[in-house]
Amino acid sequence: MEELDVEPAITNIPAASDGKHLGFAWGPGDILAYETLYMAPGMCRHQHKPLSMFSHSCAKGSGCSFIHEVRKDEDIYSPILRKLFNESHHIFVGLQTIREDLPSKNKKTQFVSISKNYRSVIRACMEELQQVAASVLVLQVSILLAIELIWNLCEVLFIDAAPAGPLLLHLLDWVRLHKGDVDEKAREVLQSESPAEHHDYWDVVVSYVLQGRFEEARQMLVKQATLQPAARNMYKLMDTLLSKMPFYNPGGTQTLTEFDVKWRHWHEEVDRCLQDNSFASNQHLEIICKILVGDEDTLLEHKELLSTWYHFLVTRLLFCHPTVKPTELHYYAQSCMTMFLDLRSVPEPLDSILLAAFEFDIHQVIKDCSIALNNWWFVAHLTDLLDHCKLLQSHNLHFGSNLREFLLLEYASGLFTHHSLWQLAVDYFDNCPEFGHVYLELQIERVPLDTERKALKVLRICEQRQMSEQVRSICKIMAMRALRNNRLGSALSWSIRAKDAAFATLISERFLQDYCARGTFSDLDLIDNLGPAMLLSDRLTFLVKYREFHKLYEENRFSEAAKLLLSLITAKIAPRSFWMTLLTDALPLLEQKEVSHSAHCALHCGFGHDLCFSKHT
Amino acid sequence: MVHDAQMDYYGTRLATCSSDRTVKIFDVKNGGQILVADLRGHEGPVWQVAWAHPMFGNILASCSYDRKVIIWKEENGAWDKMYEYCGHESSVNSVCWGPYDFGLILACGSSDGAISLLTFTGDQQWDVKKISNAHTIGCNAVSWAPAVVPGSLIDQPSGQKPNYIKRFVSGGCDNLVKLWKEEDGQWKEDQKLEAHSDWVRDVGWAPSIGLPTSTIASCSQDGRVFIWTCDDPAGNTWTAKLLHKFSDVVWHVSWSITGNILAVSGGDNKVAYTL
Repeated sequence: MEELDVEPAITNIPAASDGKHLGFAWGPGDILAYETLYMAPGMCRHQHKPLSMFSHSCAKGSGCSFIHEVRKDEDIYSPILRKLFNESHHIFVGLQTIREDLPSKNKKTQFVSISKNYRSVIRACMEELQQVAASVLVLQVSILLAIELIWNLCEVLFIDAAPAGPLLLHLLDWVRLHKGDVDEKAREVLQSESPAEHHDYWDVVVSYVLQGRFEEARQMLVKQATLQPAARNMYKLMDTLLSKMPFYNPGGTQTLTEFDVKWRHWHEEVDRCLQDNSFASNQHLEIICKILVGDEDTLLEHKELLSTWYHFLVTRLLFCHPTVKPTELHYYAQSCMTMFLDLRSVPEPLDSILLAAFEFDIHQVIKDCSIALNNWWFVAHLTDLLDHCKLLQSHNLHFGSNLREFLLLEYASGLFTHHSLWQLAVDYFDNCPEFGHVYLELQIERVPLDTERKALKVLRICEQRQMSEQVRSICKIMAMRALRNNRLGSALSWSIRAKDAAFATLISERFLQDYCARGTFSDLDLIDNLGPAMLLSDRLTFLVKYREFHKLYEENRFSEAAKLLLSLITAKIAPRSFWMTLLTDALPLLEQKEVSHSAHCALHCGFGHDLCFSKHT
Repeated sequence: MVHDAQMDYYGTRLATCSSDRTVKIFDVKNGGQILVADLRGHEGPVWQVAWAHPMFGNILASCSYDRKVIIWKEENGAWDKMYEYCGHESSVNSVCWGPYDFGLILACGSSDGAISLLTFTGDQQWDVKKISNAHTIGCNAVSWAPAVVPGSLIDQPSGQKPNYIKRFVSGGCDNLVKLWKEEDGQWKEDQKLEAHSDWVRDVGWAPSIGLPTSTIASCSQDGRVFIWTCDDPAGNTWTAKLLHKFSDVVWHVSWSITGNILAVSGGDNKVAYTL
C-alpha cells in the first residue's frame, strides 16, 4: 500500500550464517529461503577459472545447505480456528446478498445483527480455545479477545452509530462485556461464609460501581449494612444515592436535555454529601461517593480495578459527562489514555487502534489492525461489513482496487494454500468485482489435483464461472495423467470434456493401435455411449463408427454393416494406416448373401476408388 | 551450496540444484521431505531449475556452468534425461519455461551472449532457435510474458490455436533489459530498455491480472530495482520507475502468483516484499 509508512516487520531466518546470501523462491502460499552464495556465473569465464574452483568452495562439510520454509500464516492450519473461517464464510456470503434497495433503517438493524453474528463466532472460538488450555494457545486466545474488543467498539461507534445518550450506555455494555473477572470475584465473595468480611468484598463493590452496575452494588452493600447496624443511616443514604442516579432511556419520552438536567441535580446532591462529610467516618463509602461525583484522582487510585485506560474512560464519562457526543469522544479518550498510562509505558498496538476508533478514523483502525495481526481474517471481514454500511471512502491502491477488495483478495489468497479451505476462498473471490475473477483464475490452477474427485470439484467451479482456459488446462492435465497410466477411457473422457480435438485424436489413435495389436476394443461402454461428443475429432468419429461396424457385424446385421463400412471408406475419415484393415474387413462381407447387390457394387467401387486414391497419394 | 530452489506448480514437490552438480527433487507434501530423485548429468555447478506446466507431465529443466541445458522427465515413477542441449559456448545462466499456451518451450540465457529457444515438437524432437549476441558479454536472465491473445477476446473455435504473440524479456551484462518478440517464426529484438548502470542480474515479467498494462521488474549489480510498465497493448512505450536503491547487489526478483508482491533478494541479505 502506498500509505505504508511503517517499517516492515523483519522475520529472521535462523542459521543463515555470515558471509552467505539468502536465496528465495515462491511456493504457493509459502516462501522458500536457502543459504547460498551469489556469484556472477559469467565471471568464471572471464577469469578462466577451472571448474575445480567450485569444488573447493563447496567442500564436504562447508556450507551445509538448509532450505527454510517461511510461512506467512500458520493460523489456517489450526483446527479450532478452522471453525472461525468456516462460519464467518457463511456470514460473509449472507451479507453479500442483502438487497441494496432496503430502507437504511432496516439495513442498519441487519448490519448490527451481522456484526453480532461475527462476534459470537469469535467468542465461540475463544471459548473452545480456552478449554484446550495449552500454553501455546494463550497467545491465540488473547489475540481473539483483542479482536472481539475492537470489533465490538467498531460496531458501537460505526455500525450502530449511537448518538449522545445511548452512546454511553453502549460503551458501558462494551466495558462490562470485556471485564469478566468482576463476576468471578463476586461469585467467590458471595460463596464465602461471610461475604461482607471477605477480603475482596470492597473491591467487588467498587468494581460494580465503576461499571455502573448499581443494582448489584446495592445488593452487596446490604450485606455490609446488616453487619454494621450503627452505620445504618449512612448505608441508607448511599443506597438512595445509588438508586436515584438517572440513566438515559432511549425508548422513553425524556429528551436528552431533560435527562441532562436530572442528572446534574443528582450530581449536585452527591457533591453535597461529600461536602457535608456524610460518609467521612466510613472510608469505603467515602471513596464510593467520590467516584460517584466523578473525582478523577479517586478513579485513578483504582487503576488496578479498572485495569485499562478505556475502562477508565467510560467510567469517567459515566460520572462526569453521560451525555457525551460521539464527536467529543476522541478528546476524552486521548486525555484518559495519557492520565492512565505511565509516562514511561509505550502504548501498545491495541491502544493505538482503540484510540483511532474513538477518533472515528476508520482507515487508521484498519491499517493498524492490518499491521498488528498476521492474518487478514479480521480486517477483511470488518472492512467488508463497514463497506456495506457505506462507511468507507474508496481508497485507491496503486493497482487500482479499493480497500475492501484488496483485503478480501489477500485473505482469500491466504486460504487458497490450504488443502480444504481453498473452497471457501472461491466465494470471496466471487464477491470481488474487479480482480476476483482473475485472482481465482491464477490461484485455482495451483490446487493439486490429487484425486479424480478433487479434480472434478475444481472443474465444476471453473465451469460454473466460464473459466474455459482453466477447464481446458485441468482436463488436459488429467487426460495426460490417465494416458501415462494407460487408462485410455479416462483419458478420452477428459479430453472430450476439455473439448481438445487434438488430444482426442491422439487417444483415438491409441485405441485403434490397441485394436490392431490385440483385436479387441477397450472401454466399450464409453465408446458406445459418446453420442454427439464423437464429433469432436475426425479420428474419434471414425473410432466410434468403426466400433459400431464391428457391433453390427457381430449381430449379423450384415447389410447395415456393409453400408456403414462403405460410408467409412468414402467419407475418408479413416486414417491411412487403417485402409488395409478396412479392406480386409470388407472381404467377408462380400461373401455374405444378405449384402444387397447395390452394396456389393458400391463396395467394389469403393475398393477400386480407394486403390486408385492410394496410388495417387 | 544450493543455487536455486523451486516449488512445482502445486507446492508438492521441490527441486533444488547445487554446486555439487546435482539436481535433487523432494516430495514436500504434508510437511514431509522425502528425496525422490538425485539427478546427475551436469559437469559443473547447476545454476537454475525450472518446472514445466503439469499438463506436460513432470518435466524439469536445469542449466549449468558446463554449458548444458538438460530437460528431465519423470516416466513411470523414474526420472530420466529427456533432452540435452549443448548449443552454448559458455555457462548457461538462466532457464525459463514459456506459458503452457505456447506448448513446451524453454528459453535459455547464456554467458556467451546468446539466448536459445527450445521447442518440443513431439516424438522426442526439439526445435532450436538461437538469438546470437542478444547481450554482449553475457545474458543473465530470461522471463516470459504471460500469454495474451491480442485484439478481440472472442473465444477461438475449439481445436484451433489462437494467434498468440510470444514475448519474453532478458537481462544481460550490457546493462540492458531487452524485450523479444516472435514474428513470422523469427525472434526479433522488440525493445531495448536502458536504466541500469551495471550488469542486469534478473528480470521478471509480472503475471497478468487482466489489465492492458504489462509490468516487468529488473534488478542489477548497481543495487537498483526498476519497475517497467507499458500501458498500450501494442507494447511500444515503456516507462521506468525506480522501486528502490539497495546498498548492495540485487541478485533476484520474483513476482508472486497474482503479481501483487515482488520479492527482492539482495546482497544485504534481506528479502523484501513490495506491494
